[in-house]
Amino acid sequence: MKKDKSLIKTITGSREASLVIVLIILIAVITVMSPSFLSPTNISQIFRNNALTMLMALGMLCVMLTAGIDISITSTLAFSGMIIGLMQKFDYLHNTFLLFVIGILIGTACGVLNGLIIAKGKVAPIICTMGAMYIWRGMAYVISNNAWASGADVAGFSDFGKEGSFGPYIILIIAYIAFFVVMKWTKFGRKIYAVGSNTEAARISGINVDKTIISVYAIMGLLAGLAGVLSVSIYASAQPNMQYAKEMDVIAACVIGGVSMNGGRGSVVGTFLGALIIAIIAKALPLVGISAIAQNLVKGVIILVVVVLNVITQRMMDKQALARREM
Amino acid sequence: MAGKSGRTISATPQGGIKEKIFSWEGALILLLIAVNIFGAVLSPNYNMTNILRESPRYLAEIFMLFGMAFILVLGDIDISVGSIVCLTATMGCLVSNKGMGVGAVILVCLGVGLLCGMLNGFVATKFTELPTMIITLGTQIIFRGIAEVALGDGGSASMTDIQSIGILRAKVGPVPLSFFIVIICAIIFITVLNKTTFGRKLYAIGSNRTTAYYTGIEVQRIRFFSFSMLGFLAGLCGLFLLASTYGANTTTGNGFEMEVIAMCVFGGIATTGGKGNIIGGFIAAFIIVCLRIAFGQINMNTQLILVIIGVMLIVSVLIPAVTNAINSRKKTKKA
Amino acid sequence: MKKKVLSVLMCAALAATMLAGCGGSSSSSEGSTGAAGGDTSGKTYAIVTKSAGNPYNEKEAEGFQEVIEAAGGTCIVQNPESATADAQITVIQSLISQGVDSIAIAANDANALASVCQEAMDAGIQVLTLDSDVNSATRKTFCNQAGVQEVGQALIDAVYDIAGGEGQYAILSATSQATNQNAWIEAMKSIQESDEKYSKLELVEVAYGDDEPQKSTDQTQALLQNYPDLKVICAPTTVGISAAAKVLQDQKSSVKLTGLGLPSEMAEYIGADDAHSCPYMFLWNPIDLGKLAGYASIALVDGTITGAAGDTFEAGDMENSPYTLTELADGSGASEIILGPPFQFNPDNIEEWKSIY
Repeated sequence: MKKDKSLIKTITGSREASLVIVLIILIAVITVMSPSFLSPTNISQIFRNNALTMLMALGMLCVMLTAGIDISITSTLAFSGMIIGLMQKFDYLHNTFLLFVIGILIGTACGVLNGLIIAKGKVAPIICTMGAMYIWRGMAYVISNNAWASGADVAGFSDFGKEGSFGPYIILIIAYIAFFVVMKWTKFGRKIYAVGSNTEAARISGINVDKTIISVYAIMGLLAGLAGVLSVSIYASAQPNMQYAKEMDVIAACVIGGVSMNGGRGSVVGTFLGALIIAIIAKALPLVGISAIAQNLVKGVIILVVVVLNVITQRMMDKQALARREM
Repeated sequence: MAGKSGRTISATPQGGIKEKIFSWEGALILLLIAVNIFGAVLSPNYNMTNILRESPRYLAEIFMLFGMAFILVLGDIDISVGSIVCLTATMGCLVSNKGMGVGAVILVCLGVGLLCGMLNGFVATKFTELPTMIITLGTQIIFRGIAEVALGDGGSASMTDIQSIGILRAKVGPVPLSFFIVIICAIIFITVLNKTTFGRKLYAIGSNRTTAYYTGIEVQRIRFFSFSMLGFLAGLCGLFLLASTYGANTTTGNGFEMEVIAMCVFGGIATTGGKGNIIGGFIAAFIIVCLRIAFGQINMNTQLILVIIGVMLIVSVLIPAVTNAINSRKKTKKA
Repeated sequence: MKKKVLSVLMCAALAATMLAGCGGSSSSSEGSTGAAGGDTSGKTYAIVTKSAGNPYNEKEAEGFQEVIEAAGGTCIVQNPESATADAQITVIQSLISQGVDSIAIAANDANALASVCQEAMDAGIQVLTLDSDVNSATRKTFCNQAGVQEVGQALIDAVYDIAGGEGQYAILSATSQATNQNAWIEAMKSIQESDEKYSKLELVEVAYGDDEPQKSTDQTQALLQNYPDLKVICAPTTVGISAAAKVLQDQKSSVKLTGLGLPSEMAEYIGADDAHSCPYMFLWNPIDLGKLAGYASIALVDGTITGAAGDTFEAGDMENSPYTLTELADGSGASEIILGPPFQFNPDNIEEWKSIY
């Protein structure tokens, strides 16, 4: 048992190493094509513009560790963001802190609902969250009643996410450190891995599987809600179609980061690297002078190539590990 | 009879799956009738002529249902079909505008669709470690990206020669050609899945891929074939969409993948593989289509329609789980 | 055996629909004969906007609805679920089934809607467009918010003025297939080429923000980074301009912004001093555009106009009433109705307009 664990650990360790190499190559190529890429402003913009993806990737990591998936996150994001925006537009509330709390609570509620249906109702995660995706996106439209909350409506609140403000970075740093600690050194983190690696074994060994699954989706919802509030703050606007279809970016970030969709495998560091690769692609495409029309095509090719490359290096590593063991 | 159908191979904890599936499909049919009565009561314009007139866009979508059902039964998923539709329609349109006849357009659409499907299948079978969701997520962006590049500035193309493609818009009385194709596809695919060894192999792979492999089933070849098939059907969908809109743009087929998967799931096909039947998906497709047409005719808020479909989706998958739980509780009480 | 039961049930379901259909069709034909005598009362006028969840579209629909209801007609407002031609086709199909008298469409794609518009015209429905046109053979007339040349002229003049007569400028557009934006950009380019006055201006890039705040932000930042000598960004789209305005204002950039935007969205960023990123911008009144489409719908349905160039119709209390249908510049013989020149929003009038739309 212990041997297996250490084996998995080394593999995930080396997987991250290979990711770092991919990342370095990517950055090198981009810097050659656009020398200003590594400027401090640019780097800070990469994190700020992709804070939402990076934040939600953490939640997706937890969900995917339990062999689940959540495609409703950007709908939850829109729903919570829209409520926050409208509350300010109609002058119900302007306290930044309270707005964050409310947004997070809304997101968490959506997440708990997903978790309950998945854990207690034994519904496949993709189906449950697909339904939720339609529901919350639709609700965002319905409550918005064709109105946007815009710059002037969210004036004081948007200072938090303004360029030059440290708000988004602080949230990102806290979130990543917190998740790193929780996933690595706490009982709860290990429970998540256990449920994902082998649900039956986890159940027999006394882990409350349902509770773990519900809390995982609750965390995902929490982060999606937080991302919704953050999105309103960063872009100083709330629109019902915000971040439409971006859940796929989040999932891609996790998979590139080595998180297995079958559960049980993946790390916070890998997720960070995966999200960073996605963020860099988004930032670099307009910079390196690829024509606007071809940008999507290039993005798709890069994602597929990175994912396939990862599999190939993985295979080579496995082979080497096997050879070493035979010796 | 049920033994032959191959459904009993599926991995289910308790017996009685036969009854459950039967009752699910029966319930779907009752629901279809209810939806139709509901539509007729709500809207004075809800009649066969109007339904058939509004249906071609939905019918084109249903083509893909059959392929998607295969993929889901295998335990895979394909979220690139919407983009394949976009790419095939684009290519068909460009070929037609180059002055080629309708035969060439049909060939190009189906061929491009097949190629896209084969690419998905190739990656999925060569890199079996990768979940098909992430593969098709990549190809989803790529296929639409190719269409975007091909369409160039403006991102939209219209057919100059709309006469020849008109044969695809042909109607027998009020019934569009695509309706007959849907029926033919339904017969073929339902027969294949229920009556042939190939169909049984699909269920076997979906239930347990490793076991299926060790019993000598050519798992990867069947997966490759299924992905190619779905690509081909997406091409067919693109062709008929092209025929009904005389053009293609970068948003053609947007969101089709989710709609098709929703139809399958609503029809009782599990995304975990090995379970469900095309008949269910087929009826479910008509329920969703009729419901959308009925709601559309009373001018319901389009976003609210999405909310309702979302709720229906979740409720429909919750019902079997809940009834199962109740049944097993009853059983344990009796014991 | 069970299969047979299934198929029998299926047939029953279809038969039930057929029966329902017979009943339905007879009642609807009665309805239309009953209404034939009236003028606007009993008539149904529909508007199909570009998508749900957009205040600009909402204002258009508001103006339309106001006119129709004041005239005693029934108004149907339909916002498609997403900003695609596909979603609009579904909605228009449904309106054809309902046998409405007119449909006004703000088209998401000029080509893809042609066949469904033709189908509506064949069914005897008066089809007109507003905001963005479809293929001109498949509709009666087009309510144009402002002439393409006029918008292009206003934008290039603004760029010229703000840049001080020379220097680099970039355009941040919506999606690459947005019909209006493409037409305006083309007009800007051709005006710039044809007039010596603009020869010192240089268009460095047309970027596409896809009307998404995040992508528009990325694109704006990339423009700033790639072109350090950039003087002006012109964003002829409401989402793009507000995203760009925020980027420029947050960075306290010396690059200035102009384009087309909603006053309510842009109030925060409009100002003559360096603390604001946008000195002035343009738009027309979407409420008036909706109203114009409403009056045009009524005129088409009651036969005052047929959609031929030269027709005139009264448009209630609107500023330029009566309106005359003019011929499109492309020589197709199709007509359009031009609302008026684009309106400039500047620090003096923004306070007044920001609460209106």
